[in-house]
Amino acid sequence: MAQKLRQNGFTRIRPLLGGLDAWIEAGLPVEGEDEAAAAAAQA
Amino acid sequence: MIDLGEQLAKHGLAFAFSNVLVEQAGLPVPAVPVLVVGGALAADGKLPPWALLGAATGAAVIADSLWYTLGRWQGARMLKTVCKIAVSPDSCVRRMEGLYERFGLRSLLFCKFVPGFSTMAPTLAGALRAPRWRFQIFDALGAALWAVSAIGTGALFHSALDRVLAVLDGMGSLALVVLGAALAAYVAWRFVQRWRFLRELRMARISVADLTARLAGAEPPLIVDVRTPGAIRLDSRRIPGAMHLGFDEIEQRMAELPRARELILYCT
Repeated sequence: MAQKLRQNGFTRIRPLLGGLDAWIEAGLPVEGEDEAAAAAAQA
Repeated sequence: MIDLGEQLAKHGLAFAFSNVLVEQAGLPVPAVPVLVVGGALAADGKLPPWALLGAATGAAVIADSLWYTLGRWQGARMLKTVCKIAVSPDSCVRRMEGLYERFGLRSLLFCKFVPGFSTMAPTLAGALRAPRWRFQIFDALGAALWAVSAIGTGALFHSALDRVLAVLDGMGSLALVVLGAALAAYVAWRFVQRWRFLRELRMARISVADLTARLAGAEPPLIVDVRTPGAIRLDSRRIPGAMHLGFDEIEQRMAELPRARELILYCT
């Protein structure tokens, strides 16, 4: 994916180390269905 | 002096079975050479062809069922484990998922012919909860197709292979050294490939800590979610503010991407 974008002239591209899982593991906020479900459970 | 041909004729079935089982279990050993030689021996009447086909297919089906079960049980986490085991740089998860999404269970028919996909496809089928009986049917067909093509190749070129076996026989125990060295070289080559691939990945990546610092800075990068629809179905959460871009959409949506900003891509 990154390679394909680089071939098309996007030079400033970096993949995120560990991906979404690393982001979630760091305790950072996410948005999407699961979060909405959690909010509904709290209410 | 060992008689290689005789040894293979005697233990060929058990050898082919365990070889395929180990290869399909994800170890970086080749199984096709043994099946090709087995096919040559079968053409010479030294091995029962149907039993050879059964042994190879059976071993592949057993290993694949295991991947399917693990995929079903562990879901997306198992896919990552498979990716780490699959010692092949071209076994990029994304391409594999793309193949599976396009062909579904039918991808099991050809997955054994695509490097890295042979262990990935059954795991994907399990993780995406394909019905077990349908998985078994497609997987058995795919395994048989693969075994037939390898054994058939050996049968077709059996006279040439017989000459190679004769040369190896003439070499006596040196033949084992040659074969052992060839196998070691193959395994080493796979590991070097994988190591270089992983190193290249690591060098260019941004850590979560760096990303949060950049997001708080003056020139925040644009985050792009590049997961496949299948991966998103397994986990619909995303990093806030991320735009989604599928692999097939790159050409059409190129204009939407800012060229001045840094792009941070993420998958699962």
